[in-house]
Amino acid sequence: MRPAVVLRYSGIVLLFDAAFLSISAMISAFYSDSALLPLIYSAVIASLFGVFPLIFVPPAKDISNKEGFFVLICSWLLSCLAGSMPYVLWGGEFTLTNAWFESVSGFTTTGSSIIRNIEALPLGLLFWRSATHWIGGVGIIIFALSVLPSMGRTGMVLYRTEMSSLAMENFRYRTREALKILVIVYTGLTLAEIIGLLVCGMNWYDAVTHSFATIATGGFSPKNTSIVHYQSVSVEMVILVFMVLSGLHFGLLFSTIRGNVAGLWRSSIVRYYLLALAIGVMITTFSIHGHSFTSWTEAIRFAAFQVVSLGTSTGFATTDTGLWPPLAKLVMVFFTLQCACAGSTSGGIKVDRIVIFWKELLRTINKIRHPQAVIATKIDGAVIDADALEAGVLYIALYLGVVFLSSVILTALGVDILTAFSGSAATMGNVGPGFGMVSSMSNFSQIPDIGKWILTFTMLLGRLEIFGLILFVTAKSWR
Amino acid sequence: MHMGIRKKILSGFLILAMMLFLAGAWSIYELKTVGSSVQRLLDDNYKSINAANSMTEALEREDSAVLLLLSGHWKQGREIIESGDRSFQEAFHIAENNVTIPGEKTYIGEIQKAYGAYKDLWIRPIVGTSREKNLEWYFQEAHESFLNVKLAVNRLRALNAQVMYETATQVQDRAHRAVIPGVVAILSALVFTIMFNYFVNHYMVSPIINMTKSVQGFLKTNEPFQLKVETKDELQSLAYAIEDLVAQSGKRQVSQ
Repeated sequence: MRPAVVLRYSGIVLLFDAAFLSISAMISAFYSDSALLPLIYSAVIASLFGVFPLIFVPPAKDISNKEGFFVLICSWLLSCLAGSMPYVLWGGEFTLTNAWFESVSGFTTTGSSIIRNIEALPLGLLFWRSATHWIGGVGIIIFALSVLPSMGRTGMVLYRTEMSSLAMENFRYRTREALKILVIVYTGLTLAEIIGLLVCGMNWYDAVTHSFATIATGGFSPKNTSIVHYQSVSVEMVILVFMVLSGLHFGLLFSTIRGNVAGLWRSSIVRYYLLALAIGVMITTFSIHGHSFTSWTEAIRFAAFQVVSLGTSTGFATTDTGLWPPLAKLVMVFFTLQCACAGSTSGGIKVDRIVIFWKELLRTINKIRHPQAVIATKIDGAVIDADALEAGVLYIALYLGVVFLSSVILTALGVDILTAFSGSAATMGNVGPGFGMVSSMSNFSQIPDIGKWILTFTMLLGRLEIFGLILFVTAKSWR
Repeated sequence: MHMGIRKKILSGFLILAMMLFLAGAWSIYELKTVGSSVQRLLDDNYKSINAANSMTEALEREDSAVLLLLSGHWKQGREIIESGDRSFQEAFHIAENNVTIPGEKTYIGEIQKAYGAYKDLWIRPIVGTSREKNLEWYFQEAHESFLNVKLAVNRLRALNAQVMYETATQVQDRAHRAVIPGVVAILSALVFTIMFNYFVNHYMVSPIINMTKSVQGFLKTNEPFQLKVETKDELQSLAYAIEDLVAQSGKRQVSQ
């Protein structure tokens, strides 16, 4: 492990952050708002820290998988730190805790906020807030497409689609290839959504910031009432379509764009993902019809948006789901835990693990029925080995354990149980809004400071797939 | 990026200096803004609030004087009411010449109108007329009119107090902004110094120590000089030069 190499390549990410901070500063200058100096100063500090290792550390000819893994984790943590700087420097309601919370929530594409009056913030700072989602999304895709496949067979199973051949290559080649795919799909989707929203009548600023938040499945909106502000069915439809697309494996999307459309439908993971969303929308529609909405059209419209929003871990809102009946809330909680496909910017347990879990459950039942039979668990014809199955089930158990533990701590801090559980699940799944005090039309400002630190930790745990963060904090892995 | 040792070290110090200079410049700018905001706060709002307080005090004296006149004390009542009127006019003049907030002029106009109506009531004789000891007249006209002026003055005070509070909040925010860049710069400089020290150690001091060890090893046991310097700078040139020197020295020893 060469710390200097980790510093050099993490520094490049800081330069990427500095570039976006500079763009935000330009926007701030254009609107003559009060965030100009904080953004410029943050950009300068981030670029100085980014450039210095480039001066001292010569480029490495080869980077090991472990170094690559550490580069990504360090980049994430450094980005979160650099990202909180403009908030702290700007002041207002941004204490150190609040700034860190907002920054981590942005980079992990969670979308939970502590801001009470979003529209009172300067536009330059709000642009940076949305940009953190987009940058974080890039990081997630690199993490999913180039780092996780290198973590042995367990990682391979989850991220295998179209990426398995890449996993055989060295880190640098893999990152280059992943970046190529990312640039095409991620930027393409973002541009397509910007155009779609502009056609629907949104202004440039709102279209760009909402597209950043949608493609990264983040959920930060520059409006206090999120998507409700626009009262536009066409805007909701455009965002809904792009939320569904962003929940798919980016490698799979890439191969679909290249013409392999059949591959998309052949994937049982994709079929389950779309079917689960459809069933979720159906149950929610029946539940809220007659309770929150009198017409079927309205019930379908709001149910579809909210289910997809939580089911892809985006977190945009078109209504206050906190006022919905218990069954609809339960469906929301299910999607908050499950979320979308591995290899996307989505968080949560992920559809792939849920499919593995169900298949393993069925295999165990069959095994009880036929003790002598040799039954293998298969996904799309490929046999899943015992290690991968064990890791998948262990991950789900650990995931729920962390949510439970976080809920217990928050409750001990005086937060009510509904807020504590839904807030923990929403931050762990990088979804954003929960229920109770942190519902879709509210925010996390009322959570005590210690609670906010715990929730940022769960955001990072969820984003780095638990094992990633455990590996990072284990001193042994540094050797 | 191939840089010599001198430039590398210089870049480190320049970065440190830049961090501190920027933070210092920003803090000075913010502190200057705090100073001018405080001055504005005193000039614009505090003066008007003070004037409103004086107007209220003068009005209350005038109200007491009206009661004295009602009870037949002409001399005392007249003295107090005239001195109250003078105080009111002085304070009103200050407020009138200190219109700094949007909407403040309207409130000044309202005070002027309401006070004119009130003064019309007490400027005419009270003692020795039908209004003497007439409490009904007092409560229905004089006191009502007095309350109208007081309300208009209160509105002016509330407007200025509101803006004063907002400006004070902004000043507090500015003060925060003046301190935070300094704190961020100190922390950044601290982290940067640790990183700088690590790089100097790793890429400069360690190769020199290793070179010394290798040369000593060659001198003691004649073991071959083998040292790889990662950086393409003077240290690499030095390593190559020592390598050549050692090789030539070895050849000479063989030929002797």
